[in-house]
Amino acid sequence: MAQENTPEDLYPLALLMDELKHDDIANRVNAMQKLDTISLALGPERTREELIPFLQDVAQDDEDEVFAALAEQLGHFVPLIGGAEFADILIPVLQVLAGTEEPIVRDKAVESLNLIAGELSAEQIKTKFAPLVEELANAEWFSSRVSSAGLFQSIIVKVDDELRNVLLSIYAKLVKDEGPMVKRAAAAHLPKIIDLLTANPDKSNAADWDYISAMFGILTSDKQDSVKLLSVDVLISILKFFNSKNDTSHHKDLLETSLKLIGDESWRVRYMAADRFEAIGLNFAENPDFISELIEPFISLLKDNEGEVRKAVAKQLPGFGKLISKDTLLDKILPEVEALSTDQSEFVRSSLASEITGLTPLLPKDIVIKNLLPIFLTMLKDEFPEVKLNIISKLKIVNDVIGIDLLADSLLPAISELAKDKQWRVRLAIIEYIPLLAEQLGIRFFDEELSDLVLSWLWDNVYSIREAAVNNLEKLAIIFGSDWADKEIITRVLKYGDGTSDILNNFVYRLTSLFTFTRLVPVVSKEIAITKILPFLESLSTDQVPNIRFNVAKSYLVVAETLRDDPQLINERVIPVVESLKQDQDVDVKYFANQTFEKIVELMN
Amino acid sequence: MELDQDVPMEDAVELEPTLDEDPLSTTPSADYDSDVIFMNNDSANQQGMAKPTSLPQLSGSNISQLDQWIEHLSKCQPLSEESVKSLCKMAVDVLQFEENVQPVNVPVTICGDVHGQFHDLMELFKIGGPCPDTNYLFMGDYVDRGYYSVETVSYLVCMKVRYPNRITILRGNHESRQITQVYGFYDECLRKYGTSNVWKMFTDLFDYFPITALVDNKIFCLHGGLSPMIETIDQVRELNRIQEVPHEGPMCDLLWSDPDDRGGWGISPRGAGFTFGQDISEQFNHTNGLSLIARAHQLVMEGYSWSHQESVVTIFSAPNYCYRCGNQAAIMEVDEEHNRQFLQYDPSVRPGEPTVTRKTPDYFL
Repeated sequence: MAQENTPEDLYPLALLMDELKHDDIANRVNAMQKLDTISLALGPERTREELIPFLQDVAQDDEDEVFAALAEQLGHFVPLIGGAEFADILIPVLQVLAGTEEPIVRDKAVESLNLIAGELSAEQIKTKFAPLVEELANAEWFSSRVSSAGLFQSIIVKVDDELRNVLLSIYAKLVKDEGPMVKRAAAAHLPKIIDLLTANPDKSNAADWDYISAMFGILTSDKQDSVKLLSVDVLISILKFFNSKNDTSHHKDLLETSLKLIGDESWRVRYMAADRFEAIGLNFAENPDFISELIEPFISLLKDNEGEVRKAVAKQLPGFGKLISKDTLLDKILPEVEALSTDQSEFVRSSLASEITGLTPLLPKDIVIKNLLPIFLTMLKDEFPEVKLNIISKLKIVNDVIGIDLLADSLLPAISELAKDKQWRVRLAIIEYIPLLAEQLGIRFFDEELSDLVLSWLWDNVYSIREAAVNNLEKLAIIFGSDWADKEIITRVLKYGDGTSDILNNFVYRLTSLFTFTRLVPVVSKEIAITKILPFLESLSTDQVPNIRFNVAKSYLVVAETLRDDPQLINERVIPVVESLKQDQDVDVKYFANQTFEKIVELMN
Repeated sequence: MELDQDVPMEDAVELEPTLDEDPLSTTPSADYDSDVIFMNNDSANQQGMAKPTSLPQLSGSNISQLDQWIEHLSKCQPLSEESVKSLCKMAVDVLQFEENVQPVNVPVTICGDVHGQFHDLMELFKIGGPCPDTNYLFMGDYVDRGYYSVETVSYLVCMKVRYPNRITILRGNHESRQITQVYGFYDECLRKYGTSNVWKMFTDLFDYFPITALVDNKIFCLHGGLSPMIETIDQVRELNRIQEVPHEGPMCDLLWSDPDDRGGWGISPRGAGFTFGQDISEQFNHTNGLSLIARAHQLVMEGYSWSHQESVVTIFSAPNYCYRCGNQAAIMEVDEEHNRQFLQYDPSVRPGEPTVTRKTPDYFL
């Protein structure tokens, strides 16, 4: 529209204004999302002089959805108004939006302000941005104060000592604010500020740390648990700062505070501490005495009344386990883990199952066998499928420690059990685990019960299981070789077709057999492919069910690709069947036969 | 386009003028872009609405286009408005030649309501096997209620056009202009496309969906149930189905009725269709030489439910219906020897999504 040089120069702006008057809110949001186009049409100067003042009015009189779109757009506006030197003119509009009651609008406004702050010069930060932060922090209405807490992080390490100290003093007021929403916002953003100070060691001094430690003290003793729980992250950030300076003089006090938070009477605070236990522990790892003081609290969290807390701390087991001695782990922690493995809450058990195998590398092999393996086996029999699945999916790490033989001995009964689980995803997880077992266990292990099992999955009534069974057999054939595949798969499946069983009367199982054989063609010896698999394909090429016939057509491509070195065979045994399938009555059979035919012709040239 | 007749309309051709104003119902081939053309639609055109000798064949470019759409949709991403437009055009060409009682061969897997639960539809294919390797018969209600009606119906229609012999999609009572404006499909189209164009294209297409299917002359499949005005399957064949679902009359009943424990015909609490008793079902099956009526339309906690001493089966394929009912879903596999097997399944597992409770809240029972 701009290139056409319309006589009416105001056109883009008028268009926007029109759209913004639209009754339907979706149209107004749409218009806002195209703000950058309007601005491009206007050029930087007119954007600054006309569009931004106009938006200033809009930002006070519309719906939240429109505000949210506007707030988001303005974050990308710096290039559109002519660069960073003008960036501060965006601030007033966003200031209004940052004071909105709707959190979505506020968050977008804060995000955009932080983006803009990244492009401002030190001078602009000092004269424009810092005053904005201060103004918001002192605003009467809580929403502006909430927003202000999110803005400090973008400038805190970009200002001089004096201003930083002032900013922190303002922040300290937010931490003590009368509104819990403001306190929560201040507490939530404080770790980021501390982490920035840690990353920039020359950007903070003792005076700053007085403020921070005062704020931390206030947060940990807040009466509301929704505020107090946020102090756990503040604690971790403070610990990281001192560790980065190799300063352990405050660790004793901080440990005491940690213990208080871990044993807090509110479960939400305990939950937070439980969830971050490894991080807390790691920061005290320098001193074994401190770590040993954390052991009892850890155990009490494992025994907590609240399921959520147990669920969170169960995930910390391997992480914290690394920090303590093997003896302590064995004597004090393992009994609790055992109790947890039969916890009344399935979510706790499931959470434990997802991490418990991580304990195996931390313990000697005999202890794992004696103490941990029974717990795994109990959990493999859990009634809740997710518990079983979590254990199975992490068994590799156990395998690395105790060796597959032992694992297999204990596992085989569990596997046979799980292979018949009524949840198909459990069956699937077991099937996918089989090739790993096969690879490390060797052929001996498979000659008995498992051979029956891997074959029986082909006749499952859920397609995904049959599909996984086919994949599995292909992998096993690769591992164990052609003769094994012939004896244990092909011969046995073909037996079903000799009239003694009615399983192949169902097209589903004929199709599955076809899929299996097709996948085996490239794996087995040429002789087996020709003498066993080709006759089977030929018999299915005249199957009464078209779905079988078009899959036969697809299979012949695999045959041709595998046996391409033998043109005579392809001419005699492949092409004629494909030709007859090309004449089939069914369009899909014709289509796939033609596809195969074209590709074979390509292949043979 | 409300049609308040309770007698079958005589001929589909007569209705054409009413439909002429909308872009989808023009006769095939006339105004097609070159890239969405059917190779032999000339013959179809010459015969007008008369029964064709064979289904239109897809051209190579159409096939690759459809395969591309299917691939795109299987990630639960909606098609562009342009693509939906060409898809619907192609679908009309396929569907208008299907019969009111579409014949279907065994083996086939019969499915009930899906209701926009796209991920659960993908779960269905994981259980029953992918199309086209498995043949499917869906008995309506693809849209409304769930969050992904657009993707669900686009996917099924794509499959139908790509593999017309492998999948049959019947019309449910929700495949209607009126119902979709109340239960979500209209709003979803508006939200996902910004305009109601896509809703209009699909609801215009729904008029062409067949209303019943007959599996190997033995299993009569339809969305709702029987109608007091229909005694024989031939009477269904005489209906004019290419229209919005009427408020009453035989076509309405087929999409709205429910089986009931009480004998005879009863007034349906739904305000459309009827309830019918065991005597009615048995008489209908006897008259028409059927072994079973398979229908959907009602939530059943186990995913399938027999009624009328196994002369009627209800199949429902939306697990945890409306993301809260806690029900299982089911599909019915009928093999080439007419053995039936029900497969039940639970909602798909989607990592990252909050797990919804599987227990039915008391107030829902």
